[in-house]
Amino acid sequence: MEMLIEENNQKRELLNEKNKQIYEDILVYVRLSFSKSEQETEEILMELLDHLLILQKEDRDASELFGDNPRGYADEIIGELPKTVTKKSLCLFGMGVCYFFATSTFFQGFLVMLLSFLFDHIQTSRTYSLGTVLVNSFSSVVIAAIVIYGMIRYLRWSCFNSGSKVSERIFAGVIFGIIPFGLFIVLFYFMPSFGVMINLEVYWLMPIGVILFFVGQWLRKKA
Amino acid sequence: MAIGSQLLKGVLEGCILAIMARETVYGYELAVKLQTQGIDVSEGSIYPILLRLQKEERIIGEIRKSPNGPNRKYYQLTDKGKRSLQAFRLHWENLKYPVDRLLEEKEDE
Repeated sequence: MEMLIEENNQKRELLNEKNKQIYEDILVYVRLSFSKSEQETEEILMELLDHLLILQKEDRDASELFGDNPRGYADEIIGELPKTVTKKSLCLFGMGVCYFFATSTFFQGFLVMLLSFLFDHIQTSRTYSLGTVLVNSFSSVVIAAIVIYGMIRYLRWSCFNSGSKVSERIFAGVIFGIIPFGLFIVLFYFMPSFGVMINLEVYWLMPIGVILFFVGQWLRKKA
Repeated sequence: MAIGSQLLKGVLEGCILAIMARETVYGYELAVKLQTQGIDVSEGSIYPILLRLQKEERIIGEIRKSPNGPNRKYYQLTDKGKRSLQAFRLHWENLKYPVDRLLEEKEDE
């Protein structure tokens, strides 16, 4: 699989500028389609690339392959791609969640430790209310999932639109960056404390993060 | 796109199966063979059909080295594909003459 993707990266460099633009739009659009078998996706993308390279050598136009409506053509391809197995999607979803919490717990632990070395008054022991932590964690996953879904939708929409404007990109940045960030802050500052209280030395967050990372790795291999 | 209707898609599917019954082909080769037979369709239209035929296990594709170097995905018929080609042939034979006759009669009027 990685070999196919790598081969695609190298061969793509042989395309001329115009063909490369059309092909890469199709590539991104097809790769971002949800829940399609990755193996089949990469295989068909490679076949289309090989075919396009031959057309280019014969001085023929990409429209002879993709027709006049590349987006419609890509939709047709996606429609015929087999679905990936549910177990695999679940493992990949679990992997994403584990990586998400691995990063946030590890760096929270790391930052607090670092700050406490630099400034004496920072406490290395924190009190967590279990209920709040659970609700916040769950909400974060939901927010992150919505943001990722929205970003994929946006990226797919922006394929085949020649000359994406700068203002549009900035607008997308605001929506996908500032709004979720704001929501996280609101969530963590205004969520009332409830549930069982536990006292924790903050450095424990780092090994917890590492463990989550390895669970994520394991799920990734299983997928 | 030169191929739009369901009828054309079905016929093209039958032609693809017929070519693969004779030899193992890869995508571009298949497009060229269809064109030399005079079946003029947009070259890209074969790929969605190849995906569907694979999904329905009527053909199988295998990536291997081609004689002159690069890896290619070669397709061949499965037993299910062979049966499906036979069915297509039968339908086509039964339909071909009546439809031709019908269309000719209309022209004569």
